[in-house]
Amino acid sequence: MEQSIKSLVIIPAYNEEKSIDRVVEDIRNNAPDFDFVVVNDCSRDQTLQVCRIKGYPVLNLPVNLGIGGAVQTGYRYAQKNGYDVAVQFDGDGQHDAGYLRRMRDKLMAENLDMVIGSRFLEKEGFQSSGIRRFGIRYFTRLIRMLTGTVITDPTSGMRMAGKRVIAEFAGSYPKDYPEPESVVHILRQGCIVDEVPVRMRERMEGVSSISPGRSVYYMIKVTLAILMEMLRK
Amino acid sequence: MEKLQIIAAVILIASLLFIINMIRKRTLELKYALAWILVLVVVLIVDLVPAILNVISYGFGIATPVNTLFLLAFCFSIVLIFILTVTVSRLSDRIRQLSQAVALNEARIEELERAVKAAEWRK
Repeated sequence: MEQSIKSLVIIPAYNEEKSIDRVVEDIRNNAPDFDFVVVNDCSRDQTLQVCRIKGYPVLNLPVNLGIGGAVQTGYRYAQKNGYDVAVQFDGDGQHDAGYLRRMRDKLMAENLDMVIGSRFLEKEGFQSSGIRRFGIRYFTRLIRMLTGTVITDPTSGMRMAGKRVIAEFAGSYPKDYPEPESVVHILRQGCIVDEVPVRMRERMEGVSSISPGRSVYYMIKVTLAILMEMLRK
Repeated sequence: MEKLQIIAAVILIASLLFIINMIRKRTLELKYALAWILVLVVVLIVDLVPAILNVISYGFGIATPVNTLFLLAFCFSIVLIFILTVTVSRLSDRIRQLSQAVALNEARIEELERAVKAAEWRK
């Protein structure tokens, strides 16, 4: 049965020339029955060239769309190619491919629509800085208040989607800081979401897309986006 | 007619011709230029018949007719900027969809090229 599940790893990459090899190796070694595709979000470094030389499958965006647009390209690819399962997996080496099978087992066994890899269920591995954890807890509370579902790590970029959510995300996906907003969107659609504990590493290269100066903007924007999501059908 | 009125009329007509010429050369889309043409014509009418302004001011209860002019100009600017924001949102959404389609098609082309090469190699 395991072999019959068509699974895709979506690797959004923006300037990840140094880490993309390690990420792909990690997937090949620890999740060999997953296909993968790199979404190159118009990187200014050699990310595309590295992928071409190594022969990795690439979706090459001609203009920089940001994380939301890049990830959505991956979901569209998954939908077009009839994948049963698609998982977002950061190109910077934060995530650990060893958890992918466990996530898929849970998705299939419990007939879920989405499984999120959460850093905070068992509180192991890199836990993010204190101020960020505070922000994440705030979103957990907000989402619980509005939807009744507890998502301990709503900002996690390691998320696995079944067919229904693939179709949903291929159709519409937020542009920037998409994670909490899109979870609320699918919860509102009646999708069932659960989490598995994962460890994450501190990023090896590159910088977070959320700098301290932007975090206030982030909190306000995402809060409004979630409230807007509640106003939609 | 006062000197200032004539100068204003000349500037307005020149602006109108400038916009029309841009539409003719297709640098400006008629759809988006329409609002500007409309406002230029309205201002031209007000310039030639200032009494209109007095009538409107009286109707609104505005003491100084020039304030009516400022009010209308401000409202027009706000509406126009808002329309532009809506347009930018729509355009950025289209750019996103187009870019994604380009990326997906490029990958599909490469896949087909490989299949063709493999088929030729087998022959």
